[in-house]
Amino acid sequence: MMKKIPLIFVMLVVGTILLMPAGPLFGAVGCDLNDPDRDVARLFPGSTGYKTNYVAIDQRGGPSLLSQIEDRLGDKFKGLFETIDVPYTLYEIFKGKDKIGYIHGVNEKGQYGGIQVFLVLDLEGVIKGFYFQKLTSRYGKELRNPRFGEQFIGLTLKDFYSYDVRTGKTVGASGVANIKNPVPEAEPDFRAALRGTKKNLILVDEFILGNKYLQYHQSGGEENK
Amino acid sequence: MIKILKVAYKNLLRKKARSGLTIIGIALAAWVLVSLLGFNRGYESSLNRDIDNLGFQMIVTAKGCPYEAATLMLKGGTGLRYMPESVAEQITKDPEVEGVTAMLMQAVFDPNKGESGGYSAYLGVDPATFPRMKSFLEFKQGSWFTDPDAMEAVLGYEAAELEQREVGDLLLITEKDVEVKVVGILKRTGTQDDGTIFLPLKSVQKIFGVKDELTGVGIKVKKEADMAQFEERMYKLPDVQVVSLSQVKQTIMTLVSTAKVMVFSIALIAILISVVGVINTILMSVMERLQEIGILKSMGATAWDIFKLIWIETLILCISGGIIGAAMAMATAKLTEVLVRQLLPYAPSGGLVQINLHLVILTFGVVILIGLLSGVYPSWKAGRVRPLEAIRSQVE
Repeated sequence: MMKKIPLIFVMLVVGTILLMPAGPLFGAVGCDLNDPDRDVARLFPGSTGYKTNYVAIDQRGGPSLLSQIEDRLGDKFKGLFETIDVPYTLYEIFKGKDKIGYIHGVNEKGQYGGIQVFLVLDLEGVIKGFYFQKLTSRYGKELRNPRFGEQFIGLTLKDFYSYDVRTGKTVGASGVANIKNPVPEAEPDFRAALRGTKKNLILVDEFILGNKYLQYHQSGGEENK
Repeated sequence: MIKILKVAYKNLLRKKARSGLTIIGIALAAWVLVSLLGFNRGYESSLNRDIDNLGFQMIVTAKGCPYEAATLMLKGGTGLRYMPESVAEQITKDPEVEGVTAMLMQAVFDPNKGESGGYSAYLGVDPATFPRMKSFLEFKQGSWFTDPDAMEAVLGYEAAELEQREVGDLLLITEKDVEVKVVGILKRTGTQDDGTIFLPLKSVQKIFGVKDELTGVGIKVKKEADMAQFEERMYKLPDVQVVSLSQVKQTIMTLVSTAKVMVFSIALIAILISVVGVINTILMSVMERLQEIGILKSMGATAWDIFKLIWIETLILCISGGIIGAAMAMATAKLTEVLVRQLLPYAPSGGLVQINLHLVILTFGVVILIGLLSGVYPSWKAGRVRPLEAIRSQVE
């Protein structure tokens, strides 16, 4: 005797199948290194290998995580392309079997085009290198000058909490206040670089460092004031 | 007739498991058949649509000139050749031409764009003809240019995403130090237009100092046009090369035809397996019921009556299997499509598995034909049973 399959079960299975998307699913664009083999060796001298991880806010925590990130950033994710489904590419860097740091990039809206802000970080989330992979600006030469990037070295997310991405002002004696814009006319791209850096550090803290720097945000950046 | 139907139905119910398994076998064959035919139909129409979505079937460019941005990039942004705007006017006069659109491609190098600099390509298009020719283009934001020589840009979706541009933002043509305003962002099309930055033709001519020059002319020919002859005529224009997308389409279609043969071979194998399964089931059923058939004949049933009875049993199995298989194929069409896309990531956009009523009826017809054919031998064998021998054989 064959048992009857409950109608509700059949309807559920058929319904699920019919509701499955038929068309190709297009994701948002991420921010990968152009040539990871070359770039990792250049950005992290002494490294012997790397592991690539793809993480998106909608996979890790959805809207609640997004609002937590926006709260820490002090600004909303906005526009057509800064969305919850952007896949972030996190490179874990190894020397032999030991992990020695991370490389992570984000897309940021610049004055004349997309800016790709890459950070080289140690295991504690301290910036060891700053790098514009892509930049369209009248002042690209000055902003891509290594001396500009060197100003970020040694800073952490703790320093960036004192930077208000909406006004471009820094509260207190934070290391961020010491970062100088090489060309006053490049202010929009300069601010985009700082916003991108802060966003980059928050994402690394959320995705990799286990919210190590969240406490400084909750204390309102008091220690920097 | 209704009586025979009832008897045949009851006979099948006597061996539920066997009948059920046979129906499943037929259903699977019908499922495979409908899905493969649906895939074949969907793939071909998607491919056709993708090619037709290019907007024009032919591009005429100056001899040696790259005709799309990717080729230009491969050449390091160099190798642009020009032809006079009058070529477009000349082509328009051809009676087989439905429309032409003039284009001018330019590329600039930005030393600060990447680690070792990078190129940006701009395609100047005629606002009067290009949008009409590519009517499938839809806007995510904004619209086409406000003026034929406006300093404005429309970006394909991927270009906008890479440059993080939205309507109202500025775009800098670095080498020329010219700012243009973004007035439109296109929706994704799955074509090379996604990565293109469009500017009005006149603006590109002005910015790059190439007045009255073009790098290409897109041509849409009338449906009844003889492409080969038309191409010949285009080659007669001085110093041009002709890139015919119909040739590309023809080559792809030839490849698709080869794949089609494979697809139909698989379908044929599935059908053969189900035919053998049906014959086996009915034949077994006939052998088991020899005595019963003998009694029926001794009671006055003719060979034709027995033939009909067994044949109808076969038909019931096939029709049931056909209905279930077609329903399964329709219900799982989307799942099949997802699986096919996993296997063929570069398949054309749009519905890859297209199952319609015509296809279902066709498959149903094939399944009934299978039933009729595979039922002939067991029915004929049953009809030939001699009553006395049959009854005696079972008694012994």
